[in-house]
Amino acid sequence: MTAKTPSIIARLIWVVCLLLVILFAAMIIGSAMGSSGGGIISVLQVISGKSDPNSILHTIIWRIRLPRVLLSALVGATLSLGGLVFQALLRNLLAEPYILGISGGSAIGAIAGILLGFTRFPGVSLTAFIGSIVTLVLILVMTSGQSVLKKESLLLSGVMVNAFCSSVIMFLVSITQDSRLHNIIFWLMGDLSTADIRQVGLLAGMLLPCFILIFRHSHAMNLLLMGKEMAQSSGINIKVVTITLLVTSSFMVSVTVSYCGLIGFVGLVMPHLLRLIFGPDHRILVPACILGGGSYLVICDLLARTLPEQGEMPAGVITALIGAPLFILLLKRSEP
Amino acid sequence: MKKTVIILWFSFLALFMCLMARVAAGTYVDQLERQVTVPDDPQRLISLAPSITEIIYALEQENRLKGVTRYSDFPTAATKLPKVGSYVRLDLERIVALNPDLCIAIKDGNPKEIIDRLESLKIPVYVVNPRNLNTVLETIREVGKILNAGDKAENLLTNLHTRIQRVKSLITQDTYRPGVFFQIGISPIVSVGTDTFLHELIVLAGGKNLADGKTPYPRFSREQVLALTPEIFIVTSMARQAVFEQVKAEWRRWPSMPAVRNDRIFLVDSNLFDRPSPRLVDGLELLIKLIHPELLK
Amino acid sequence: MNPAITASNLSHSFGNRHVLRHLSFSVEKGNFFIIIGPNGSGKTTLMKLMAGILKHQKGQLSILGHPKRSYTPKALARAVAFLPQRLPLDLPFKVGEAVLLGRAPYQGALGFERQRDLEIANQAMQFTEVDHLNNLNIGQLSGGEQQRVFIARAICQEPEIMLLDEPTASLDLAHQVKVMDLMEKLKLEKCITVIMVSHDVNLAAMYGDQVLLLKNGEVVCIGTPSEVLSFRKLEETYACKLLVDESPLGGFPRVTLVPGRFMDSEN
Repeated sequence: MTAKTPSIIARLIWVVCLLLVILFAAMIIGSAMGSSGGGIISVLQVISGKSDPNSILHTIIWRIRLPRVLLSALVGATLSLGGLVFQALLRNLLAEPYILGISGGSAIGAIAGILLGFTRFPGVSLTAFIGSIVTLVLILVMTSGQSVLKKESLLLSGVMVNAFCSSVIMFLVSITQDSRLHNIIFWLMGDLSTADIRQVGLLAGMLLPCFILIFRHSHAMNLLLMGKEMAQSSGINIKVVTITLLVTSSFMVSVTVSYCGLIGFVGLVMPHLLRLIFGPDHRILVPACILGGGSYLVICDLLARTLPEQGEMPAGVITALIGAPLFILLLKRSEP
Repeated sequence: MKKTVIILWFSFLALFMCLMARVAAGTYVDQLERQVTVPDDPQRLISLAPSITEIIYALEQENRLKGVTRYSDFPTAATKLPKVGSYVRLDLERIVALNPDLCIAIKDGNPKEIIDRLESLKIPVYVVNPRNLNTVLETIREVGKILNAGDKAENLLTNLHTRIQRVKSLITQDTYRPGVFFQIGISPIVSVGTDTFLHELIVLAGGKNLADGKTPYPRFSREQVLALTPEIFIVTSMARQAVFEQVKAEWRRWPSMPAVRNDRIFLVDSNLFDRPSPRLVDGLELLIKLIHPELLK
Repeated sequence: MNPAITASNLSHSFGNRHVLRHLSFSVEKGNFFIIIGPNGSGKTTLMKLMAGILKHQKGQLSILGHPKRSYTPKALARAVAFLPQRLPLDLPFKVGEAVLLGRAPYQGALGFERQRDLEIANQAMQFTEVDHLNNLNIGQLSGGEQQRVFIARAICQEPEIMLLDEPTASLDLAHQVKVMDLMEKLKLEKCITVIMVSHDVNLAAMYGDQVLLLKNGEVVCIGTPSEVLSFRKLEETYACKLLVDESPLGGFPRVTLVPGRFMDSEN
């Protein structure tokens, strides 16, 4: 007699509610703290409209912190989800969202934009996006010949292209001497501080359909875990599904990276972390990555802003400092 | 009857023109040709670059100043003011939290995005773009104007002008222009090209900038420097004395250079030479002392 | 005559390599059909063509009376279930979840299971005797148990045809018999046509209703085990010395390898 386990829908609802609460709490805390103080009560007052709309705190929270917190959530969600999809597609647990040359290509594009004197948005974002698409297409063209070993060659090509791009980036950095060097370095470290509510809205408009599309393919990703052949014989059109997932994920990661630079480590660690907590079913993992990944980056960005006495750390430093030990801890706990 | 009408009419006109003058007094055109509405009497001023901080103190308008950037270290009183990040990485939140009625920014360095965000938050930002000594003086004049310190600005400018003129007339006494190598980067060796304050100051102080050329910050290998046979070596960097002694010892190994033979290797405070502020003239006076000491006897 | 699968002049190549040439055969419904042949004869390629993983280039292939091309992937999955040689043993799911994956051809995009899906999965697990392992991870099972889990998954597709590629390759003797008996049970109780590729000619002889001998992508012989497993045909195909007699269990041939030392003494 099989044991009764809660149905997938029940589990999904439970996970989504839990993570929504966490995300909400993270966003409130994130809006409550910053380089000019605040406090949770003030934030709640401001949000519920009970405070003076002309006060400075009101302006800071609505126009500086909330957009930044929203952006962190979106970026964290995208990077985590991107990592999850690439891990499923390439059946490799070391895959991360930048693996198909996206980081290298967008970095070169961004540096080119900065050297040409464009502003962050839309100029540099556009050049970064173009750069990432170019490298992606390059990799796909290079690997289109092989079909049997496809995933290995895709991965290897991605790694090689990223390595090549790294050396180009180092060269460009070494010959830049003026204040543009600052811009380049800040872009490479990832920068969530330029959040503007309209731009964040535009980003959300581009990313949310991607999230939905990927969620619709979450069971297909489960089937893909059995290998391409068994997945195909279970009724999935492998070619269509693979291309859809690849294009959608690459697009959303490229768009995100183009806007706020290279924030690393989120896409590698979060899927593993969430998988250890919630299990391997992608129908649960996709919303978990969106909500959990978003919360994670909101908190990491908050720490990056408030921990240092002067200025702020790159958010990517915090994600690595927290993510790695946390992951190792969970790994040890889960071993039988 | 006609007389009263005429008098009324002219008074009306006068009043109208006064009103117009009051409104026009608020709108300025900054050095990037932007129209900026400056409050008449700014009380909460934020300086977005160390050089601007120096200018504000030089104009004795520091009572208006409520916030500065991290490296605004001159005069020392400025270090006590609240910080708004560094001038290449401004902290938007801290700027807004100080509730400024005017910010003064500098084109070369301040991120344009932050300027735009401040504008969208209805905070006026006056941007200056001092590229050479003349535009630095212009900047002092303009900042004086918008801070209602026009007369103080004129006094300061007169003083600076006099000192510059003195240097200019001194060097007419000697047509020789010694070769100067101005090292601003230690590793790699970086000097200054034509489009920099330093170049201008070197030339004004009666020297020849051996690194002049199109590249603003050209790099040199040690051999290239030796080939230039500099007569005066001036090192400036944010490094401390210990590092300078090391650099000096390095160069001393090449006595083929006239600068080494005559022991004319000097360390100077970089802030006198790369900040577009009144202290550039201090730097100029220091330079002529190093390059043409004989003229000052 | 109700063929489950009919192939007519089927050809397939990878680049310049012709793997299958002009294959024509037919598999009866409810038959236990076993394909044998030496390495490189094209057995796995033929499997993949029938499973819908590869698209054949020349010839006709029809499944349950309809051309394969007319099937959508989902429709094909409802008719044909496939177990490859290398099973995904690293599948991170529990047994119960893995078996439920087999219901995908009957579910919507998100695969939310309904009562019927759960019932069918339970029945399949009971059929292959893995129901007591429901909550264990696949990685914790033995080789034989793992395979039966994937067979249960395949049964959940409610197929009319079951394709297996060398299922006994890595199993010990006991499990070999167990799997073959399970297939026979599928054939007899559920009327599923079982098509299997095997490297073990004796198993083919014991269980097969029809045997297809393949060499270099061409049909050498097709028929009952007794018809196909004659020593001359086998020796030619496998290019080694063999001894063929009747199995002591009766009713089908027995093939014995002849080690080198016996050949010297014969001469």
